[in-house]
Amino acid sequence: MAFYEENPRHISKADIVVAIPSFNEAETIAFTSERADKGLTEFFGNLRSVLINCDNHSTDGTKEAFMKASGEVPKIYLSTPENQRGKGNNLRNLFEKVRELEAQAVIVIEADIKNAAPYWIRNLGQPILKGAGYVCPLYVRHKYDATLTSSIIYPLTRCLYGRRVRQPDAGDFGFKGELVEQFLESPVWTESVQHFGVDIWMTTIALNARLPICQSFMGSPKIHRTKDPYAQLTALFRQILSAMFDLMSVYSDFWRLVKWSKPTALFGMDAQEVATPVPVDVNMNQLHERFLRGFDDYLGVWESVFDQTQFHKLLEIKSLGLQHFSFPGQTWARILFEAFKAYLAMEGEQRLTLLDSLLPLYLGKVLSFVKKTERMSLQQAEEYVENECMVFEENKPYLVKIWE
Amino acid sequence: MPKILVVDDEEHIRLLYSEELKEAGYEVFTADSGYKILERIEEEKPDLVILDIKMVDYNGLDLLQDIRNHFYDLPVILSTAYDTFKEDMKSIAADFYVVKSFDLTELKKKIAMALETRLP
Repeated sequence: MAFYEENPRHISKADIVVAIPSFNEAETIAFTSERADKGLTEFFGNLRSVLINCDNHSTDGTKEAFMKASGEVPKIYLSTPENQRGKGNNLRNLFEKVRELEAQAVIVIEADIKNAAPYWIRNLGQPILKGAGYVCPLYVRHKYDATLTSSIIYPLTRCLYGRRVRQPDAGDFGFKGELVEQFLESPVWTESVQHFGVDIWMTTIALNARLPICQSFMGSPKIHRTKDPYAQLTALFRQILSAMFDLMSVYSDFWRLVKWSKPTALFGMDAQEVATPVPVDVNMNQLHERFLRGFDDYLGVWESVFDQTQFHKLLEIKSLGLQHFSFPGQTWARILFEAFKAYLAMEGEQRLTLLDSLLPLYLGKVLSFVKKTERMSLQQAEEYVENECMVFEENKPYLVKIWE
Repeated sequence: MPKILVVDDEEHIRLLYSEELKEAGYEVFTADSGYKILERIEEEKPDLVILDIKMVDYNGLDLLQDIRNHFYDLPVILSTAYDTFKEDMKSIAADFYVVKSFDLTELKKKIAMALETRLP
């Protein structure tokens, strides 16, 4: 149960819930809440709806801003204790509340979005009411936005669990209320899942629950209040990858049987206008430097963890220099597979060092992607990502072999 | 023997696909438009659908949406003379796509992959 709850209208049952997880989002939460309220009244006016702010005990007035935001839909505020942080902990409070409310459909939307629109609520909620179990958004993204998703999260999730969910960790979702039972009973509830790892954790559980997954086209990019993709990269990278590896270990009986992948259903293809994403600048020199620095910091780790073929390939990639830099998809896939196997045999600090050692390799992979796609359109770059995913799928038997 | 439904408004394509795929060991039946395609799928229960994108009366990408919404896991391969369709997001609901050709090697490869795709 949440450490703290305010439920001024004593709501005890609901059909549909929109939840906004937060920590110190006083500046934007009223806007998000008002948009969500409008979406609920416009598209789900015949249902009993409730807006929930699940918060990390913010000190900047988030609760007050949420509660005072205009709208007709009843509100509930939940909070973790003062010193408990993390989106995962906020969502856990939400899952418990959803169970109590017996809601059929739940929508989660991030608090710091500057351009949330009421129809986003429709796009994430309506597929659930029509029978989907879980909905991931498809935001319009620049080719260099969310490179962690394009390089690791999407290809790995797709090759493991067999569904082509392009943005499985977008941060906003829709899901069937009954899925909270599986979230609450998950054996993986680690520090990483309690923080940045929670988004991919939810999608992975939904995939393994064999529920019909739907992707909803949102027609626009998601614009956050502040966005510096490198500010928290080390923590983000560690937490997401460790959450994925922990889940891989738990769901091995499932993914070992998956061969190739299948598409999902789509929703929201009636979008009237499709916005153009803001270009993302990439500093290739900096990426190359950080890749090379990895050899100074982690060469010993790589030599002990990776098969000789992969290790020698890394030395070869290093020798290419920036002008001819290229990081083959097969090497990348096998590095991640071998890192997973090594991760399982490790504990504590050793695991953290392994995860940190993968970061410069990821940055090298991003550099390779940027070099290959710099003259490509968004659609061509997207095809490139799809081909990389096929390389992961083709190499899946290698993962199964080293796992067994 | 896996059953394949070929939906294409060009007669020579239906004939070509039918003959070659029958030779390759598949049971093939055809439709010359998207008319009542969901009912047809319900009746015939194909293991896979090959769908033309540009038909005179039907847009294959819209049919793909309908098929995916009613038959969530039915493999669908888009068959097209042009690859500009990839600019339309709807195409990602297909398992694979092939560019129409008299050499069906690529199509047969994609059919085999789609049929051996396994999700427990």
